[in-house]
Amino acid sequence: MTMLRALALALLALMTAAGPAAAQGALAVQVPAEPPGLDLTASPASAIAAVVHYNVQECLVKVDKNGKLVPWLAERWYTTDSKNYTFFLKKGVRFHNGREMKAADVKFVLERAANPETKHPFQKRYEIIRDIIIKDDYTVSVTLKEVNANFLLEMARQGSVIYPREAVDTLKSAPLGTGPFTVADWVRGDRIVLAKNKDYHVKGLPHLDKVTFRFIPDPNSALAALKSGDIDVSAFGLGPENVVDLKRDPRFQVILGDTTNDVILAMNNSKKPYSDKRVRLAVTHAINKEEVLKGAMFGLGRILGSNVDPLNPYFVDMSKAVPYDPAKARKLLAEAGYPNGFDAVLRVSPQYYYTVRTGEVLVSQLAKVGIKVKIEQIEWGQWLSQVWKEANYDLTIIGHAEPWDIVNYANPGYYFRWDNKEFQALYRESEQTVDDKKRREQFARLQKMMADEAPVVWLYMHPRLVVAKKGVTGIWKDLPISSLDLTEVAWQK
Amino acid sequence: MAATLLFVSLLVFVVVRVLPGDPAILMLGIDASPETVARLRASMGLDRPLPVQYVEWIGGAIRGNLGRSIQYDVPVAGLIVSRLSVTLPLTLMAAALMVFAAIPLGVYAATRHRRLGDYLTMTLSQLGIAVPAFWAGLLLVLLFSVRLGWFASGGFDGWGQGVGGALKSLLLPAIALGLFQFAVLARTTRSAVLEVLREEYVKTARAKGLSERLVLFRHALRNAMIPVLTVAGVQLGQLMAGSIILESVFYLPGLGRLALGAITSRDLPVVQGVVLFVASVIVVINAAVDVLYGLLDPRIRYE
Repeated sequence: MTMLRALALALLALMTAAGPAAAQGALAVQVPAEPPGLDLTASPASAIAAVVHYNVQECLVKVDKNGKLVPWLAERWYTTDSKNYTFFLKKGVRFHNGREMKAADVKFVLERAANPETKHPFQKRYEIIRDIIIKDDYTVSVTLKEVNANFLLEMARQGSVIYPREAVDTLKSAPLGTGPFTVADWVRGDRIVLAKNKDYHVKGLPHLDKVTFRFIPDPNSALAALKSGDIDVSAFGLGPENVVDLKRDPRFQVILGDTTNDVILAMNNSKKPYSDKRVRLAVTHAINKEEVLKGAMFGLGRILGSNVDPLNPYFVDMSKAVPYDPAKARKLLAEAGYPNGFDAVLRVSPQYYYTVRTGEVLVSQLAKVGIKVKIEQIEWGQWLSQVWKEANYDLTIIGHAEPWDIVNYANPGYYFRWDNKEFQALYRESEQTVDDKKRREQFARLQKMMADEAPVVWLYMHPRLVVAKKGVTGIWKDLPISSLDLTEVAWQK
Repeated sequence: MAATLLFVSLLVFVVVRVLPGDPAILMLGIDASPETVARLRASMGLDRPLPVQYVEWIGGAIRGNLGRSIQYDVPVAGLIVSRLSVTLPLTLMAAALMVFAAIPLGVYAATRHRRLGDYLTMTLSQLGIAVPAFWAGLLLVLLFSVRLGWFASGGFDGWGQGVGGALKSLLLPAIALGLFQFAVLARTTRSAVLEVLREEYVKTARAKGLSERLVLFRHALRNAMIPVLTVAGVQLGQLMAGSIILESVFYLPGLGRLALGAITSRDLPVVQGVVLFVASVIVVINAAVDVLYGLLDPRIRYE
């Protein structure tokens, strides 16, 4: 039986082959998708932002963990009319290649973004810049073509990261920036490793020496990796159904917070019967949002009444504006000419499984008022083509994660196909309003309009779900912007 | 062989382009402007007539140039080669486990025909056929990784970190991957040996007074191995194709996961390249098996 013995010995040798030891100050983070490149100026993918935004590359302005715009690479700015801005850059900020950041870099970055040749994913948002003038090495003034209230926010988003102009070619594989971490290694298909930037412009930060992002798409595998200790943090990809038993596990902490992801039941406004406002309001009245949250999200999340989410400074709680009232729903349907309800097809993509679960709850609620819904599960690429691009659908459910995406409702070509001239005019006005009080009032009116006209049903805000080993501190509770900011993350001593 | 591959190339090219789903929109997301999408499509060469795109692709493929990945912006051929460093060892390990477990087990079952040993072995192989690979994988992870902590739950650190560690991360996936084929091969071996044991020349050998052991090892097995090895050869190709699911369970950076990710994001050059590559491998393996069969069985050679 020497062969068996040999086999046993070999097995024993394999099992004792040591794996890499967890270093103090190192963190292993699970992300569900490998980023398609690391260039924030080439793709809007949130998988890139999770690794790079605020970790490797930073902006003039930053959205902090509370959703506030704070000075960052620009230590202050000056504007009187939201049209002419002067940014005063922080001195002594070095890129990862050692060179100091100067005003010329800011000018280069913004002009490159506005240039159509670059194929920047948000190029249109930079077209509003008329002029960039370098006053001196640390002062740059930007003049816009017209007043724009969103400009500062735009300067904080992932498309506006500041990088050295000599490093454009390496943006895709090893981007340089001013951030607390540098890109140390990228093993394609498996992981990205970030290393501490010892020259970081904020003294005492970051706390971590090394961060490893592991690409684990399957939530069950992510759970197994967490439980076996192969990863320390699972930041995206776990749903409320995975979190239930982790809450009871003393080794882990579950961080629950807010996001800007509003999950909606979209209706095709260009198609009967959804073109009739009474039908849309009837659908809204027929839905018990509390039950939806309980049934689809295990009670996690917040009920919404309009597109604007709780992290937005202009948020108004519209969730009670069109309350659950099936009797009223039936009355409205009868008024609109559908006393016996109608048939509908609800298309969802199982790639975002919470949309499937949500749909299942909605089907039974809508059936009670006579709307017979059939669920059709389609693949994500198909959803993008048929629903998003061609508006070939009756009903669909999806989450919109971008902050300040109310602009989509002012776009009659967007897949909701909602064409309300009054809303569009008011939104355009709000973009040019400088006074904060006046803008707040405009946003309140916009939200009321959305609730009154009900182009879609705003169901709930998807919660931020992070599971981490006990002892990890500094992870943001809320997600006001697409970023996995690890600047202040540390292991408790 | 070339005709098969040409047909496969045409098939995969047409299928991925007929499928709904625009790679440009998938890349840019639901907040993209139509102009940006159109510009990206044009830069990908996707707005040219289909026959032109096909001819350009197949012309390059023959010379080893499979185009560039839309997602990663690297040559597809290079991507495939780098992923092979995981999938190939994984497939070979699964094949080795399969062969070294299945053949002895099948021989054993044949020699214990209609007795307890045979029934136990056949029940075991029935389980192997019934249990889906991904479930077996998850169970292995739950036991050996989460519960016992002997293995990592997945991932692959690379060959640079040492051969032992790399093989260790492939062990559990290889077991799960080879399980089904192991069961099939065990049964095939058992049937082949049983059939050979019924032959006249075996009876003659026994009549001559040879021990059962000699009968088995000197006469029966060599002939039984002919169909067994040819089946094993075909299974090798199936193992490679079957790695797609297990690489997701164990988050291994292999060819299967590359293909899965490419399909989801409509990375057309990668899907086409991987399918063509795997089809080529299977065609080559099957051709080699045909040759092997001829070598092993003199009766075929002299036909």
